[in-house]
Amino acid sequence: MVFSRRDFLATSGAIAVAASVGMPRRARAAETIKVGFTTALTGPFNEFGEGYKRGIELAIEKINGAGGVMGRPIEIAMMLDDQLIPDRSVQNMRRILDNKDIVGLFCPSGSGPTLAVIDMITADGRPAMNPQAQTPTVIYPGGPGTKPRPNVYTFSIQNDIEANFMAGILAKKFTRIGLLNESTGYGKTGGELVQAGIMRINKDAVVTHESYNQKDQDMTAQLVRMQRARSEALMVVGLGADMAVIRKNMVRMNMTIPLYVSAGGFSPPYAEGAGELALGTKGSQFRKIATKPPAPEVAAFLNAYKAKHGTDRLWGSDPEIPSPSMGGTVASGYDGMLVMADAWRRAGTTEAAATIKAMDATKGFVGVNCSYEFTPDKHHAIEVDDLTTYEYAKVDGRMMLVQTSL
Amino acid sequence: MEDFLTLLLAGISVGAIYGLIAIGLNLTFWTTKTMNFGQGSVMMLCAMLTATLIARGWSQALAILAALGVVVVLMVFTETYTVRPALKIEGSMGWAVSTLGVGIVLQGLAALWFGSQALAFPDVIFSAIDDVVVFGVHVSLQYIAVLVLALALVVAFELLVRGTVWGRAMRAVSMDADLASVIGIPVRMIVLGSYIASGVLAGISGILVAQIGGTVDPAFGFELVIFGFVAAVLGGMGSTTGALAGGIVAGVLQQMVGGYISSAAQHGMAFGLLILILVVRPQGLFGQREIVKV
Amino acid sequence: MSAFRGFLTRLMTHPATILAAIAVLFFGAPFLSNGTVQILGFLMLNILLAQSMNLLTGIAGQISLGHAGFYGMGAYASGILMKTVGLPFLVTVPAAAMIGALTGYLVSFPAGRVREFYLAMMTLAFGLIFREVVREWDGLTGGAVGLSGVPSTTLRNLTLFGFTLDALDYFRLVLIVTAIVMWLVHNFIQSRFGRAFYAIHASEVAAGCLGIPRAGTKRMAYTLGAGMAGLAGGLYAHMIGYLGPESFDLARSIEILVTTVVGGLGSMAGQILSAIVFTFLPEKLQVFAQYQFIVYGLILAFTLILLPRGLAGLLLLPPRFIKPASLKHVTPADVAIQPVRSDFDSTLVVEGVTMRFGGLTAVDDVSLELHPGRITALIGPNGSGKSTLVNVISGIYQPTAGTVRFFGQAITGLADHRIAAAGLLRTFQDPRLVPRFTVRENLLLGAHRRYRASALATTLNLPSAAREEAAFLATVDAVTRMAGIVDVADQPLESLPYGYRRLVEVGRALLAQPRAILLDEPAAGLSEAEMTLLARMIRAMKEAGLMVLLIEHHMDFVAELVDDVVVLDSGRVIYHGDIQGMRQSPAVIEAYLGAPDTDAGPGDSGLETAHA
Repeated sequence: MVFSRRDFLATSGAIAVAASVGMPRRARAAETIKVGFTTALTGPFNEFGEGYKRGIELAIEKINGAGGVMGRPIEIAMMLDDQLIPDRSVQNMRRILDNKDIVGLFCPSGSGPTLAVIDMITADGRPAMNPQAQTPTVIYPGGPGTKPRPNVYTFSIQNDIEANFMAGILAKKFTRIGLLNESTGYGKTGGELVQAGIMRINKDAVVTHESYNQKDQDMTAQLVRMQRARSEALMVVGLGADMAVIRKNMVRMNMTIPLYVSAGGFSPPYAEGAGELALGTKGSQFRKIATKPPAPEVAAFLNAYKAKHGTDRLWGSDPEIPSPSMGGTVASGYDGMLVMADAWRRAGTTEAAATIKAMDATKGFVGVNCSYEFTPDKHHAIEVDDLTTYEYAKVDGRMMLVQTSL
Repeated sequence: MEDFLTLLLAGISVGAIYGLIAIGLNLTFWTTKTMNFGQGSVMMLCAMLTATLIARGWSQALAILAALGVVVVLMVFTETYTVRPALKIEGSMGWAVSTLGVGIVLQGLAALWFGSQALAFPDVIFSAIDDVVVFGVHVSLQYIAVLVLALALVVAFELLVRGTVWGRAMRAVSMDADLASVIGIPVRMIVLGSYIASGVLAGISGILVAQIGGTVDPAFGFELVIFGFVAAVLGGMGSTTGALAGGIVAGVLQQMVGGYISSAAQHGMAFGLLILILVVRPQGLFGQREIVKV
Repeated sequence: MSAFRGFLTRLMTHPATILAAIAVLFFGAPFLSNGTVQILGFLMLNILLAQSMNLLTGIAGQISLGHAGFYGMGAYASGILMKTVGLPFLVTVPAAAMIGALTGYLVSFPAGRVREFYLAMMTLAFGLIFREVVREWDGLTGGAVGLSGVPSTTLRNLTLFGFTLDALDYFRLVLIVTAIVMWLVHNFIQSRFGRAFYAIHASEVAAGCLGIPRAGTKRMAYTLGAGMAGLAGGLYAHMIGYLGPESFDLARSIEILVTTVVGGLGSMAGQILSAIVFTFLPEKLQVFAQYQFIVYGLILAFTLILLPRGLAGLLLLPPRFIKPASLKHVTPADVAIQPVRSDFDSTLVVEGVTMRFGGLTAVDDVSLELHPGRITALIGPNGSGKSTLVNVISGIYQPTAGTVRFFGQAITGLADHRIAAAGLLRTFQDPRLVPRFTVRENLLLGAHRRYRASALATTLNLPSAAREEAAFLATVDAVTRMAGIVDVADQPLESLPYGYRRLVEVGRALLAQPRAILLDEPAAGLSEAEMTLLARMIRAMKEAGLMVLLIEHHMDFVAELVDDVVVLDSGRVIYHGDIQGMRQSPAVIEAYLGAPDTDAGPGDSGLETAHA
């Protein structure tokens, strides 16, 4: 079954149903369908976990409002906080796996915690959705293109997909490219994949590849190397706050080459930290969620979000169109929950093997970020076509993100 | 050559900030043999308050003064309720834990009030675009301002310690607090003063770093304080000039290693330098040999 | 409260309770959920880490700010050796401990020249470099992405003796290893080694003068502490099967330090309590939601102020450093001081010693000799250089010129613990004992240099080691009788009046079985009765054939005891002879009239540069 107009209409009804509080509660009694997850709900990375939690909650409200799955409402039976600390994720996930009533799992935020629990989840065998971790080995232990873990499905932009997208843009326009990434797992794999992608397209490209530590306050050394190598463009893989530091550092050194950024560049810290200096910065992000006018399924999601949380920091500054980064913080959890519910519905059961079989047959399920399709050999969904290029530009005197071609 | 000058200036400026932090750490090490392990949070809080107040429309000078005022109150609290009681417990390193605890509380409060993501920090005095051209190199006025301010603070501080009654009293406390109190020096006030001064230096460093980088978040400052340690040990614990020199040496070496060898080795190099100096010359570049009472 | 503490201490340290607890966990684990078993596994690792930090910081007084680095060395060592090299569990985990220990040894390399603070900085730098190296050395460590697929119970590919271990087996294994390590550490702490560690903690100078090498002891503490952390790391690697650099960063090091401090430095039982609290706390704190970070911070900020000695100080009696079992097997001995055999070169010769500090000459070309069975008094006004001379002879200062020969051997410039090991002991003007030790423990510390049992025999608590300990305890009994401190033998020193401390310090030097002893104002502050006891001890030394140098201001006390007198003034010898002659010496009279004796004033040792 696909995300059809009928479902969309049901969503509108859901709000009405949810308003008459208590109705779904009375209906469920003991037979709720239980899901569980551990994520960074507090601590320095809590905005990831908060977005992820909101996405799952919105999806559950939508499903339950429409009568649940097979007449049974979905319930978050366990929601634990790991603060993005791998050891804590392990302890939390063990506790979740101990609860045999739980039939659906979500992986933690971040690659480190997810890699720490992923073997445990694989051994357990229950279906698990991965909304945020981007490292390809989370899904494909042998690297992209190899056999996926049987029960884990990713809803995030895999590093290799993002890298290929950026490499495609960069290699077509430039031959001398500076590449700067943070030294975390995300940054390093991202940087290496972009470099490999560029070299695949243009063997003669000169890539100057450097790294920095998160929260470094000065990048002069790295930028000097870019200058010395006469780079024509700079690509940064990292978090928004660090990109603001880099952007300012470039200006101080009078470096005028164009700046390309990974998803982090579309988070508030970059736009706020760099201010008007951000103008002209380009990068890739989810396409659908910030396309005007929104598709109906996107509009339904956005309306539900606005009704519950308003246009807050995760949403971004424009009340009409959310920041595309919301695709990765909120919508990926939302889509993950909907797709899993759809698999249960098609399987007619929440039993693990049947659910996985149904998951593997997902085809054309229209979600907020893309149209989902999984097969036994392909457990990621977001492809290059689901991304687009964004640029910081001035519209009516205000700095905004606009979709652009290159 | 142009690269070299750019790296050198950036290294000196960043190093001067390490130096400022190191001087702050040194101050309390002098008077009490303790250090505020939550110093990073002091930097963070001062920068965050400044950013928030400016965003609310306060004038820059007023916002900075108000933030520093909060830092002063905070340091009085830290010294009175966490360091002093902990010092009464012999041989426990309790102060390390309690000051760290205050730092974590501040981080938690900041996350609660301002959110855990980075806040934008406005340009203070100069922006990143302001520069002058020296020998054909674009020299950022932000860096120059940092350097000048750091040097001025060190000179002022040296004058204070060497030339005033308070400075002499402080040295007496650093030599032997019991003896100092016997001869009528207000040891309590000196110790409190050293904590306040240390916090103010950290606060100023926080503002200086935040305006260069452009953002500040609750975890800000932690890494910088580590480089402050490197600078303090490199220069020699207890020496103000040494702390500044140590900071600049560490800052310049970092940039040179990053610029000419490998940016991945930048941080490892600084920590390696710390180990090297501890093995080869533990008293640091400018420190005196340790004095032990028998 | 104190009765409750006593009860809880006996309960927690009683072998039956401990064995019962282990048995309950061992046999009860199958009835627990996997999640509980997992968290209990982490608890065991946290206990190991806390004990490791306690040995280093709580006992030896050395601070580690990079403990997660040692832990990580072990984890990566075992993980890589098994995954990449293919070595079996029985090799990789001990290797993890060895590699941790080696790292600890190397990090403490400058221990001989620097003090705690700098060693703490060394560990900080090591921890940070470790993180950088792990992150950058992709080929070996998996870099920032981490090392996945380490054989573990999760993947069911961890084997021991051909059996595949599951999570339950592995927990039991970790439990047993933790219990064994705890037993060994317990034996180690309640032995001369633990006492030596704690003596270094209390006063490096005093420990050195009892023959405890400071650098070696500190290195040993770092080696053992880091080795235990490495072992914990090795066990961790196969519990989850994934190693990421974030698990070994500075925050983790701080967590370990905090656990130890909150548990109560020095107390092994306190560490267990604290590890329990900090293992389960994050889960409990989840009810505080976004406030949990703040609550954690508040706990750190104020625990120590409310509980100065941590949880252990609140709930338990102070830890002891002598095995209760050894105390039961003490056979009475009468001889407090073994007679010293003397031969022709049994002398302590000080020859032309000069000691200058900058422009100040504290000791100027002083020569004197000590002979077996003779008491020599060294007297002179304050500031005449008496204590400085003692500091030179005992190896604390290296003289500017001159030599000191002991039994014919030049000992000038030797480290203090070597001089003590040669049988030349001293006491201090201000008694330098271990305040938290009992009188008995302090006395036993004196015997440190005479122990022959190896570290291994001691740690395994072999009968030979236990017999040796009992023999020295018998001597301790004899010394307490002679010094008149039998009644207070099991009281902590810090609770006793000053006079007792002096007697204990002299007694402690005797336990070292010295051939020569330098007593720096031993009678200062003693009551008449105590002075009588002291005089009795000094006479016993003379009878046993010791060389005795006595610095003293009480002329009546000196006159009764001494054979020879040396008078110093302004660092020079102005008189050398018997006591009657001294009273008539014009030079002495002039010196004393010129600078009247001020008993109450501070001594002649101000701020002086120590040999680094």
